[in-house]
Amino acid sequence: MKRILFIILLVLAFTNCEDVIDIDIPSDGPRLIIDAVIKVDTSLAFQTVRVKVGLTDAFFGEVAVTDLKQITITNLGINPTFGNPGFVVLLEVEPGVYQKEVGNLFLTQGELIFQVDHEDQLYLARTYYVPSVPIDTLIQGEGTSLNGGQTEIITTITDEISRNDFYLFDFDFNEFFLSKDDFYRGEQFEFSYLYDRILEPGKEVDISILGVDRAFFNYMNLLIEQSKSDLDIFATPVATVRGNIINATDIDNIEFFDNVDQTNNFALGYFAVVQEFKKSIVIK
Amino acid sequence: MDKIFYFKFLFFILYSTVVFAQENYTISGIVKEASSNESLIGVTIVFPELKTGVTTNEYGFYSITLPSGTHTLQISSIGFKDIVQKIDLNENLKLNFKLEIFVEELEEVVLTEDVEKINIRKPQMSVNSLSVETIKNIPLVFGEADVINSILLLPGVTNAGEASTGFNVRGGAADQNLILLDEAIIFNSSHLFGFFSVFNPDATKDVKLYKGGIPSRYGGRVSSVLEVFQKEGNSKEFKVSGGIGTIASRILLEGPIVQDRAAFLVGGRVSYGQYFLPALDIDNSASFYDINAKAHYRLNEKNKILLSGYFGRDSFSLDKSFTNTFGNSVANFRWNHIISDKIFSNLSLIYSEYFFGLELDLLGFNWDSNVRQFNLKLDINDFKSDKLQINYGFNNIYYVFNPGIVKPLDQNSDILEEQLTKKYADEFAAYVDIEHYISDKFSMEYGIRLSLFARLGQDDFNLYLNDDPVIFDPFLLTYLEADPIDPVDPPPGFSSGNGTGISDIYTNLEPRFSASYRFNTNTSIKAGYNRMAQYIHLLSNTSSPTPLDVWTPSGPYVKPQILDQYALGFYKNIKNGVFTIETEVFYKDIDNRIDYIDGADLIANNAIERVILNGEARAYGWEMLFRVNKNKFKGWLAYTLSKSEQRTPGRTPKVDNGRSNRETGINLGEWYNTPYDKTHDIALYGSYDLNKKWRFNMDFIYQTGQPTNYPVGQFEFQGLIIPYYGLRNEERLPDYHRLDISAKFVPTKKASSKWQSEWVFSVYNVYNRKNAASINFRRNQDTGVNEAIQTSIFGIVPAVTYNFKF
Repeated sequence: MKRILFIILLVLAFTNCEDVIDIDIPSDGPRLIIDAVIKVDTSLAFQTVRVKVGLTDAFFGEVAVTDLKQITITNLGINPTFGNPGFVVLLEVEPGVYQKEVGNLFLTQGELIFQVDHEDQLYLARTYYVPSVPIDTLIQGEGTSLNGGQTEIITTITDEISRNDFYLFDFDFNEFFLSKDDFYRGEQFEFSYLYDRILEPGKEVDISILGVDRAFFNYMNLLIEQSKSDLDIFATPVATVRGNIINATDIDNIEFFDNVDQTNNFALGYFAVVQEFKKSIVIK
Repeated sequence: MDKIFYFKFLFFILYSTVVFAQENYTISGIVKEASSNESLIGVTIVFPELKTGVTTNEYGFYSITLPSGTHTLQISSIGFKDIVQKIDLNENLKLNFKLEIFVEELEEVVLTEDVEKINIRKPQMSVNSLSVETIKNIPLVFGEADVINSILLLPGVTNAGEASTGFNVRGGAADQNLILLDEAIIFNSSHLFGFFSVFNPDATKDVKLYKGGIPSRYGGRVSSVLEVFQKEGNSKEFKVSGGIGTIASRILLEGPIVQDRAAFLVGGRVSYGQYFLPALDIDNSASFYDINAKAHYRLNEKNKILLSGYFGRDSFSLDKSFTNTFGNSVANFRWNHIISDKIFSNLSLIYSEYFFGLELDLLGFNWDSNVRQFNLKLDINDFKSDKLQINYGFNNIYYVFNPGIVKPLDQNSDILEEQLTKKYADEFAAYVDIEHYISDKFSMEYGIRLSLFARLGQDDFNLYLNDDPVIFDPFLLTYLEADPIDPVDPPPGFSSGNGTGISDIYTNLEPRFSASYRFNTNTSIKAGYNRMAQYIHLLSNTSSPTPLDVWTPSGPYVKPQILDQYALGFYKNIKNGVFTIETEVFYKDIDNRIDYIDGADLIANNAIERVILNGEARAYGWEMLFRVNKNKFKGWLAYTLSKSEQRTPGRTPKVDNGRSNRETGINLGEWYNTPYDKTHDIALYGSYDLNKKWRFNMDFIYQTGQPTNYPVGQFEFQGLIIPYYGLRNEERLPDYHRLDISAKFVPTKKASSKWQSEWVFSVYNVYNRKNAASINFRRNQDTGVNEAIQTSIFGIVPAVTYNFKF
């Protein structure tokens, strides 16, 4: 009798309760979200530059789209002439998607300025093209860790010694992996990526590598962490991850930044121009 | 403000009250408990005809100087038989007293009547004492008694709910409490997520919490002082006491080594609930154990040596993916020396260590960190006259901070063993504290503490461009970690060795002041001001259930916290102490309160200065305590209304290349709630003695929900769905409240045997409220809809405990 009592007491004591609850979350008002990661495949002469724009909504609601007046990308390195104005204007091809064919030279040389005009606010971002290295090999591995039920892909690249590289690997299915060349500068680098499940044999997986700069690397790092659905025990103070798109409406001068009045009226997302290499592998 | 004026004022007060009118003689001695020789703290010896009295100090010593003649002496302390004695005073007398316990069990008392009567008179304010019996009556989870959980029922004291370590006093952070165990500083006061404190209630003798009006003999933490004194050991006979509880048990042995002169005390607690978990298929586990060992030897009338040691460890593991071990160790040597009839001194030599380690199986490494301190302190009480007591002394602490050693678990792992840079510091303080009973109605306590903190040399030192470890990006309007320039060589001011050379010194003068005006024996008002400096800070991850406790010293990038507290109070006894009302208002102002930049990374961060910003904090509120102490019923109602907030504005813009960039700070530089801001805090406690066998206790707590961050929206980027947040700490978890009850049954003691026992039946959280420990958000895998998940720790928990002693 006493033993049963003991056990009952223990069960009651150590079962954490997790309940789904209803809470009212205040909405911040819709924010502009701009997905302007432009992937450059240098084997082609022209790129289709595609930018997705939307409006966020309350946490438990739907993600909506919006339309705006204008999206332009300017290349500061080009001296404007009649035939070559030094900028391109992206046109809406579907709701929320803006597109244009742009030549490689425009994207890979010179500083690029990205501007969005929306509801009387001017949003601005600037970046340079970031190169990458191709994927040497993709091999499916045997390895599983812990309890099995995983698929392993071993990836090899050769780092470029002359520059400080940051890489973003897209392992398909919205899974990403970040790496920087601190420990393998100029050398061949091999690593394993494990999918949390067994992928069906015969399935073709498209894996790509993007060259990113430090800022975009940090941004994707925080974003990946925040998108995870399980509780991170070592989570630090949550914060909205700001990308590199700033609200430039009140700024009179791009060099002097002393009127940070629009601090809360920012756009989410990122503008990056990155070199991409792709490779596929068929799962055994 | 004007220090010279302050000192002149001090001296003037002193001189104006030293009176040598007639022959005065001194009575001094030690007050002990008769059956164990345990010295008694805070016992008041009153001379009613002379309208004066004195209170025993932490070692039971008292001294009072009175005019010659015949006087009546009275000692009245709850739980003990009164002593009334006539004294013929025509020479200095040594009078030791042995108080006998009442025949009945030590019951009663929430706050002893005597402490209250003298409290009306004593200038000290914002201090609460708790008797050990009260602590043992308050019903808690698993039926265990606990010091820290008991002080949560006092006004002005809250915590973050279940599964939280530490406590918050008057809107202060958990690292701002000075926790003393027999004069030794303890860093972490909790076991097992805060359900048990590190204080074994069987070994505890005296508990005092100073929320404000902190005398100058205490320093180093800005919000409060929790002073716990343990028993020294029964030097008359051998005694055993203990208890068997639902998940933990405890035992205490004490006895004489040399009859009436030397004794020992050994106590231990261990939890065993974790052994049943695998049987129940639960992969998480939490356990603790601790040991208290003490010995004392009274060499002669004037000298006594006390030795004590404490060792405790907690272990918490989640799903075998990580194990967290932490705990305190203390070794303590004290020498009480009675210098003269009027002067008592205590010299302490203390070693104290706090260890915190993580074994991360999933990531393949171990992270062990600790902070060690070597403490030498001297405290002297000079009972100059019955109107003036002067306390003075000094305190020196040498610190070694080890932010961590990272060791791979597997020899073949890619992770290299790394020792993060150890930090060294020395904190020195000297103080003078004067208790001055100016007249029958008016008394003051004033003093000053001079504190000094020297940050010493270390192996590696990070230098940053423009001395800026945190960079503000004016385009993205975010703060970023700066990369150190010139990585290793220490700058001049350090030598290349550890602990040598001084890099920074901070000095502070901390004036303390409180005054009491007594309208009559039943009513008084008090006012107080104190300035405190805190040189070491706890960097803790407040948003998660397992805090990463990293203590860090002030230095070139982290400044000491400086607090100014103002308080005003009103106290009234009604019907001769059957009812009492205490109410206080307070205002606190803290400079250099740090906060983290968004997205700060704390684990094994060797350069924490890159993720923090300096700001300020303030707290203000009103506390009310209404107590009842009538025959069979004792209880109290405590209510606190308060606000605790902080502000971290952007730093002064530097002009860089002709560009001057205004910074946003955190939360746009506006005031925001600290993580422990609780608007309302209500605590109700009651204890009713039905008869000699049965006693019933209850407590009820209500606290406004804790500030937290909820996402205000979400967006999609490159296929990832990401939530985003509003301003910091704007939302609140649901309010926290629960009711606990317990019944204590004492079976009739057999006359022939020495065995005494009691059964405690308790129910924690009687109406099974699922109080939110945290709320997280995730996307439901099946429906694709976002949901809020609330995690709560305990529902209703019944428990049975068996306590014994012989």
